[in-house]
Amino acid sequence: MSRNLVELIRRHHTVHAPTALDVLKAAVDDHGELTDEDRKHAAEVSGLPEATVYGISSFYDDLLAPRGARHVRVCTGTACWAATGGAHVDAVQEGLQLDLGERSADGQVSLAETVCLGFCHSSPAIRDGDVIDAGPDAPARAIAGATVATSEPAWESLLPEPVLTRPADWSGLRRALTELGPEQLLGMVEEAKVRGRGGAGFPAGTKWRFTRGAKGDEKFIVANGDEGDPGSYIDKYLMEQNPVRVLEGLALAGFAVGAGHGFVLTRSEYPLSKPALEAAADQAREAGWLGTDILGSGFDFDVTIVEGAGSYVVGEETALLACLQGLRGTVSARPPFPAERGVYGLPTVVNNTETLANMPFIALQGAAAYQSLSPDSESNGSKLICFNERFLRPSVYEVPFGMTMRELCEDVAGGLRDGRTIKAVQLGGPLGGILPASKLDTPFDFDALAAEGCMVGHGSICAFDDQTDMRALAVHLLRFGAHESCGKCFPCRIGLRRAHDMFAADAAVDRAKFEQLLEALELGSLCAHGSGMPAPLRSLLAHFPDELGLS
Amino acid sequence: MITVTVDGTEVEVEEGTTILSAAKQADAWVPTLCFDDRQAPFGACRVCLVAVEGAPKPLPACTTPCRDGMEIDTTDQTSRRVATAVVELVLSELPERPAAHTELAQVASRLDVSLTEEPRWPGATHTTDHDVRHPYLAFQHELCISCGRCVRACDEVQGAFALTATGRGFSANIAAGLDSGFTDSSCVSCGACADTCPTDAITEIRLLDGNAVGRLPLRDDHRPRVKRRLPSEGTTER
Repeated sequence: MSRNLVELIRRHHTVHAPTALDVLKAAVDDHGELTDEDRKHAAEVSGLPEATVYGISSFYDDLLAPRGARHVRVCTGTACWAATGGAHVDAVQEGLQLDLGERSADGQVSLAETVCLGFCHSSPAIRDGDVIDAGPDAPARAIAGATVATSEPAWESLLPEPVLTRPADWSGLRRALTELGPEQLLGMVEEAKVRGRGGAGFPAGTKWRFTRGAKGDEKFIVANGDEGDPGSYIDKYLMEQNPVRVLEGLALAGFAVGAGHGFVLTRSEYPLSKPALEAAADQAREAGWLGTDILGSGFDFDVTIVEGAGSYVVGEETALLACLQGLRGTVSARPPFPAERGVYGLPTVVNNTETLANMPFIALQGAAAYQSLSPDSESNGSKLICFNERFLRPSVYEVPFGMTMRELCEDVAGGLRDGRTIKAVQLGGPLGGILPASKLDTPFDFDALAAEGCMVGHGSICAFDDQTDMRALAVHLLRFGAHESCGKCFPCRIGLRRAHDMFAADAAVDRAKFEQLLEALELGSLCAHGSGMPAPLRSLLAHFPDELGLS
Repeated sequence: MITVTVDGTEVEVEEGTTILSAAKQADAWVPTLCFDDRQAPFGACRVCLVAVEGAPKPLPACTTPCRDGMEIDTTDQTSRRVATAVVELVLSELPERPAAHTELAQVASRLDVSLTEEPRWPGATHTTDHDVRHPYLAFQHELCISCGRCVRACDEVQGAFALTATGRGFSANIAAGLDSGFTDSSCVSCGACADTCPTDAITEIRLLDGNAVGRLPLRDDHRPRVKRRLPSEGTTER
């Protein structure tokens, strides 16, 4: 990330200038597409150079597709693909007589793709304006211009006492401020061995310790609410149904590391997340849980909610920081880590939304109570998981670690609907491995899943039924991978495109050449997008080699 | 000062020194494409991979700081295999061979990557798109490998901020101003971008020659042929 641009942004932020991305987003919302006048205006008010603004305007999906009076977005996420094999996308294109990214000549209707709307429980999902319609009849309703908002299933905790699904009441922050103090709170989080819930599993306490020890008086906490993983809607539930818990976790992190301000970066694919968090923040300010001198403790903390603009890789922490500051959402090499140079070039903690949602419990009940939430596992705490539409009872569930995948898929989610059987499940998003049905007795656990080339990841469990074409699945995954590559590092930028083309071509895939390409991606890529995309492909090669058309 | 070993040679370096600098100090060759020692390391090209004792996988030399006692192997086979694959991928995205004098051609040659054979992973190439509206500087967008060197030169060296990366994924490229060419941008014609470009995607038009340098095909009538690319065509390759 350019230090000069970040410094420009910091200086303009101190005089409350909006970010270039905010201005560009508002222009698209206002008149459907960007003009050079919009870009010049964005440059002027944000203080960024015109070229930089042009670069931003060419990066984000939301800024690229022209919008008509009605803007229809069809979800091309993995759950929707698992439900229809992509037929819903074809149907909507045909019904509206529009290609993806096209607007009708009269300007009345436009069509774009989006990944993913987080309605994986009711796929396929289609967004019409801000209405999200999902289910087998959603395409027909979208074509007829008669979409209806689909309701979301209630979430459920399998714990004796719910933790993450329980509404928060700021009692964890009260205890931290009045009884614990920052050092003791940080010690408890370290002792609880909280592993990051966003995919990488990095110890949250270690991250906090680095940032607490970083030089400087001004520090920041960022909640990564950019759960872009197709097939996952866990953070969506947290941000929209339990926003206080996320904000309380953010404030606790701020108290522990000495930060006075927090940000939540939400996804534009979840239009309700930002309003839900902002409403909760407003109430918290009124009640005195956010603001200056909270509970008379001398601790000042407030939050800003920022919405992204359509980019999966922005879930990576350095890209997230770039997006938060309104820049192109490309990945930066580390070091420097955010703990040293984050928002405005200052020390910053970036934690996943669910990771932060664990903190109120730890602050209130302590590390030992947190560890005992998963008695049958080495992993601590509980985990939110979610299932896709292929299951009989898809929703978000809070579970202890250590249950087997079979228990989760069959007992919790009820197995598949319509008499279908599981062929394989993908865990933890598009960078997660694929577990064949024969391995469902693997425990749901960081280490046990890693041994099978899989990961807890974000906690999504996406089933592919017995009729799934595994080569088509490879094409689906690689199309997503290539489309979402930020374009920064060479192996990912070119390699994912080539990998996609190998499988999309009407020809046998040279296995040796493909595996050489996977190695370059795994070992060469700058971030987890390029190095992680091979994982599900490796699974397919290992478990379904005869179905991939290899040579 | 800390001590590291590069290919068996001990060198003393200051704390914070990158592996790439230490390797240079030890006279060890590490291939690079996105690196320019006048600019902050970028870590994009991934051809500067080296093996470090104890590290589970190759590390990029340009962005990895040395640790005391580090044992570095710049000739590690796995690292070289990946670097070679990346250079092959880069060559495969260009519609034509890079000129022999370019850094890309030289790195390819030193890694024994053929410039003429059918690529291991063939596929789409960038669309030819020349912009010769500026009197001294020309774009050949199809040769851009998104190394970011021109953008950083303009930002870090010149402070003109006339250039930006554009698009994403395979369609990533560069633009001046609002993709309006150098003339309609904050470009000060310093030439730092052309100077650092490893592929001739930006070249300096030498007035004394009365023509463009290298292979830039100025047309007989000298009328620039410019294709305006709208951002809504973001998925179009150039």
